[in-house]
Amino acid sequence: MSMQDEPESETTEEGVDYDALESALGDAVVGRETHKNAEAFVVRGDRVTDALSTLKAQGFDHLASLTGQDYEDRYESIYHLRQYDDAQKEVSVIVPTPRDDPSHESATEVFSTANWHEREAYDLVGINYDDHPDLKRILLPQSWTGHPLSKDYDQDKPQIVTLEKHKNPIEEDMEIEKPGDDLDTMFLNIGPHHPATHGVLHLKTVLDGEQVADVEPDIGYLHRCQEQMCEKSTFRHQIMPYPDRWDYTPAGIINEWAYARTAEELADIEVPEYAQVIRTMAAELNRISAHLLAVATFGLDIVGDFAAVFMYAMRDRDIVMDILEDLTGQRMMYNYFRLGGVVWDLPEPRDEFFEKIRQFLEAVPEKTDEYHNVLSQNELFQMRTVNTGYLAPEVAKDYGATGPVARASGVDYDLRRDDPYGIYDELDWEVVTREGGDNYARLMVRMREVEESARIIEQCIEMLEDWPEDEREIQSNVPRSLKPDPGQEIYKAVEGAKGELGIYIRTDGTDKPARFKVRGPSFVNLSALKEMSEGELISDLVATIGSLDIVLAEVDR
Amino acid sequence: MASSAPLVDHISGLLNLEGLLGEVVAGILGSVLVAVIVLLFAAIAGPYMKRKLTAAFTDRIAVDRVGPYGILTIAVDAIRLLTKERIVPENVDRPAWDIGPMLVVISATMGFAVIPFGNGIHLADPQVGVVYLFAVSSIASLGIVSGAYASNNKYSMLGGLRGVSQNIAYEIPLVLTGASAVLFAGSLRISDIVAAQSATLFSIGPVSVPAWFGFVNPFAFALFMVANMAEIGRNPFDLPEAPNDLVAGYQTEYSSVYFVLFYLGEFLHIFLGAGIITTLFLGGPTAPVSALSFIPGIVWFIAKVWGVFFFTQWARSGVPRVRPDQLLDIGWKGMLGLAFVNLFLTAVLIGVIV
Repeated sequence: MSMQDEPESETTEEGVDYDALESALGDAVVGRETHKNAEAFVVRGDRVTDALSTLKAQGFDHLASLTGQDYEDRYESIYHLRQYDDAQKEVSVIVPTPRDDPSHESATEVFSTANWHEREAYDLVGINYDDHPDLKRILLPQSWTGHPLSKDYDQDKPQIVTLEKHKNPIEEDMEIEKPGDDLDTMFLNIGPHHPATHGVLHLKTVLDGEQVADVEPDIGYLHRCQEQMCEKSTFRHQIMPYPDRWDYTPAGIINEWAYARTAEELADIEVPEYAQVIRTMAAELNRISAHLLAVATFGLDIVGDFAAVFMYAMRDRDIVMDILEDLTGQRMMYNYFRLGGVVWDLPEPRDEFFEKIRQFLEAVPEKTDEYHNVLSQNELFQMRTVNTGYLAPEVAKDYGATGPVARASGVDYDLRRDDPYGIYDELDWEVVTREGGDNYARLMVRMREVEESARIIEQCIEMLEDWPEDEREIQSNVPRSLKPDPGQEIYKAVEGAKGELGIYIRTDGTDKPARFKVRGPSFVNLSALKEMSEGELISDLVATIGSLDIVLAEVDR
Repeated sequence: MASSAPLVDHISGLLNLEGLLGEVVAGILGSVLVAVIVLLFAAIAGPYMKRKLTAAFTDRIAVDRVGPYGILTIAVDAIRLLTKERIVPENVDRPAWDIGPMLVVISATMGFAVIPFGNGIHLADPQVGVVYLFAVSSIASLGIVSGAYASNNKYSMLGGLRGVSQNIAYEIPLVLTGASAVLFAGSLRISDIVAAQSATLFSIGPVSVPAWFGFVNPFAFALFMVANMAEIGRNPFDLPEAPNDLVAGYQTEYSSVYFVLFYLGEFLHIFLGAGIITTLFLGGPTAPVSALSFIPGIVWFIAKVWGVFFFTQWARSGVPRVRPDQLLDIGWKGMLGLAFVNLFLTAVLIGVIV
């Protein structure tokens, strides 16, 4: 704690004056903690709205994540805030609440994105949020008893669901309450088995004719207890395979990086420069494959199930997957990163490998031209996508949207540039933004990002080619059994294919995390669906789901 | 004066049968012949050519496992589809639910009765052939609505509603554009329309190009092609089915034989639409240049019909589907006006020239 000796009002290296913030929060603050990523204020449970609105007014307009957890003596919600304009400026708000009655004020009035985050914390950890508009389970079935991530949850107790509780979901049809008990509307279940929901997503939709009057996503069908599995696994080796299974489009390497970055920061592990270049190259290859799949399936949603563009994009994505297979030995579940580096060096002969990537990169402009030709330049396609699924920039921020979804709404936020990791800050590339905010803009942003990723990869290859043979260090020295110091807390994020992929870890001195929380960008982006599709037609709703590019494995985790 | 049932008369002549008996026997034999031809079209198109064409458009190979070039896929698929369990959902409105798919097939097959296939294969040639054709082919929407509404499924109902609104919106421009061909030929009788198109439009040396209505009035041809896409429910107008919005639209609840009937009806409709286009705009079974007249008419007819089918599959891979409101906008605000303009211009042209 070198900061202790310095004058009180001094700002940190990121430019945040925490003392000024603390005095602005006034008597809402009852304490202060230091997390690895930022300072955290302990706030009274009845002053959450006050505290968060004060911080929002100070520029912390992005509620990146919310972690719920319980200790022996208390429950705790941690609101991870940062700034859209400067992602390195972070602050956390900790709200402790007693074990016997875990409840405190909800943050939904200040941030709409808190709605889903708080529902998840209620569902898994068991914290009640007063005045929450719709506090019910989000990932687990409504009939579930107990909160699995809390300490007093009995894992061996069978979940008995009576037939009565497990009634036909369509029965609620008649009970749906609309303003004035409107008989002109129709309730429609879209999914979980529907061709256009991109996975097991269930949308409870109220239709007025073909117009969407109300839509409520029902998620959790693909919940695989990923957070809990990570909490049962060791830092050193066992956690790394799990991130591959979040965004499997495939963008597994970027997900691995999210964990690697968090854990490396936590345990102060240095990563050799050579490994960072390989990581950057592999991550951008993965971003291309993920974006190509998004383009392909969006074409499928608009054109119909015989879309030529779908197969074109899949064909090109396959080349990327071949390259990644050469590099990692796997096509989807890579498990390529290790803490402190990567598992092995580039495949031999290196020239052939570089040549293969070069060939792909050279063809990228031609390929994107082809997609534009068959998809985005088509008048009918533009009729369908321009000005549909509109997401205003301020709404996007309110809902915590990140990634291509936010950037298509003109929110200039990309963690690769704003909170640099790897070697992104040494390379020459641009963050792609567009003002449209509609389905068309989201597609175009992804197409441009493919080109930018190609630029990044090209520069990485140039660096790798000239790398002296005796300096090719792919891993730093990391203890076989990694036990970070107890009581540390950290929230760190990388720019995933879908947006800010953040991970919160708390340590307790063992070789396993005491709490492992994943902030899935798809989860957050999906929560804005209602804003984007109300009042539009059912076909637009389908197009909007496509352009949001959600991966249910990342939504449900 | 030509016979009103050329094929039937021909067969009864061959069999040396006179009177009612001859008419009945020859009528059945003639119908069987026409039905076999069109069902063969649908059998080749549905399980085989459709996949092959889509695969070609999307850089794939597709069915090539069973038989030479995968052609036996047709037999395998037929067995597969017909032996599946026929699931009747609870609370479906029974007679209507069963009648739906049948109506679709019946409407399409009845249309072929008045289409001349060339080489004398022309089952019936009534005075009001064109009117009959349009009337019969639009019965299919009744089948779609019946099946969709009786299915007791919301997706089906939405698909059925879309089907009706689409058919109403596009039937009018379709018939109006078809009427311009009738004006051109001066007769509702199909053999007269075909005959009118075999006249020479212009000659370049020894090659003379016939006065196909599609050559005489390409505008009407284009209009009819677009309206026909909506009528047969293909991209960009495949909204009643729209798998990405409505799962499978009106046919969501159908399986096994009933599904086959819908599927078959769909393809028969594509071919009926292609047959109408061929007859009204592409000169029926006549050759495109007189020098090629030695090739039998039925070959030309099949080539033209499959050409139109090819076009529908092309659109299916390449053209995005429009939204229901846009579909109706295009139909009522665009196509209807253009169809009237076309009809008026054709009438003026014919009035001035003739």
